[in-house]
Amino acid sequence: MLKFKKPKLEPKVSAGSMADIAFLLLIFFLVATNLLQDKGLIMQLPPEAPPTITKIKERNLYTIQINSKNQFLIEGKIRENLNNVTQEIKEFVLNPQHQSSLSETPQKAIISVKANRGTKYKHFVETLDQIKQAYYEMYGEKVNLSADEFRKLNRKDPHQDHLYLLARQNLPMNISIAEPDKIK
Amino acid sequence: MKLRKTSKSVAEISTASMPDIVFLLLFFFMVSATIKREDNQLDVSVPQAHAVTQVNKKFLVKELHIGYPTDLNQGSTPKILNGKQILQLSNISQWIQEQRSTLDEVYHDQMIIMLKADKNVDMGIIGDIQTELRKNNARKVMFRTLDEI
Repeated sequence: MLKFKKPKLEPKVSAGSMADIAFLLLIFFLVATNLLQDKGLIMQLPPEAPPTITKIKERNLYTIQINSKNQFLIEGKIRENLNNVTQEIKEFVLNPQHQSSLSETPQKAIISVKANRGTKYKHFVETLDQIKQAYYEMYGEKVNLSADEFRKLNRKDPHQDHLYLLARQNLPMNISIAEPDKIK
Repeated sequence: MKLRKTSKSVAEISTASMPDIVFLLLFFFMVSATIKREDNQLDVSVPQAHAVTQVNKKFLVKELHIGYPTDLNQGSTPKILNGKQILQLSNISQWIQEQRSTLDEVYHDQMIIMLKADKNVDMGIIGDIQTELRKNNARKVMFRTLDEI
């Protein structure tokens, strides 16, 4: 009886190919997927309503216009590129030296972007990016962070949310996007 | 003699945990990734930007693609694609209503329309879409961009 028991084989499944199977799956998912891409420039559009006329003082308005030849008209001056615009917007909004040509208060400052129908989308996004960057830098400076650090604040964390709100206080991001001109 | 024998043992790294490591990677990719939809009807390469924000509630994001058709029979003017089919400007409001009805009522006014537009399209079509969005009270717009390195 004892002799019979000896040849009993324990059934074993080889786990050696497990890694191969997993690798195969992994490579499949790597190829077939793209990471969630949900980054971009977020904007709130104005409501659809008959345009109301509000008087805005010229000094509170920083206008950027882009034509179909992709030239920029910034505060009445033609420019070929957007160098230094971030810096200028910051100066315009904060107006540390209280110059009469720049905005009265940061709350009243409005950055207006107007693109022509023929403008390339690329240049529009570039402009919007510069404006947002300027604001993020201002927000960051208020709470001693860099613009990138400010953007990455996690609002779910109460401490970081506090910083976020503190930075945004009295400094609204007033960006106006005018509709491209209709073809007449 | 006895000493020699014991020192001969070869150090081997166990590969038993290899499948576990690979599975971990696999699960990471499965969770953090979405399956690519068949959306190669349009040629879209988005512009770059630096001051980007990220959306926390991903289900609020609804995507519209704007770009030039890859199939030349479709013409050479920019087209709007909702992921599956090409939309006309006049159909956008219907599309918005459909997308809104997929969300809970609480989130109706928080819906974010993500415009994934090719960097070379004209602002005309973008402006037209914005007008449509405003008409339908879908006023949160996101311009999809690539993060600059």
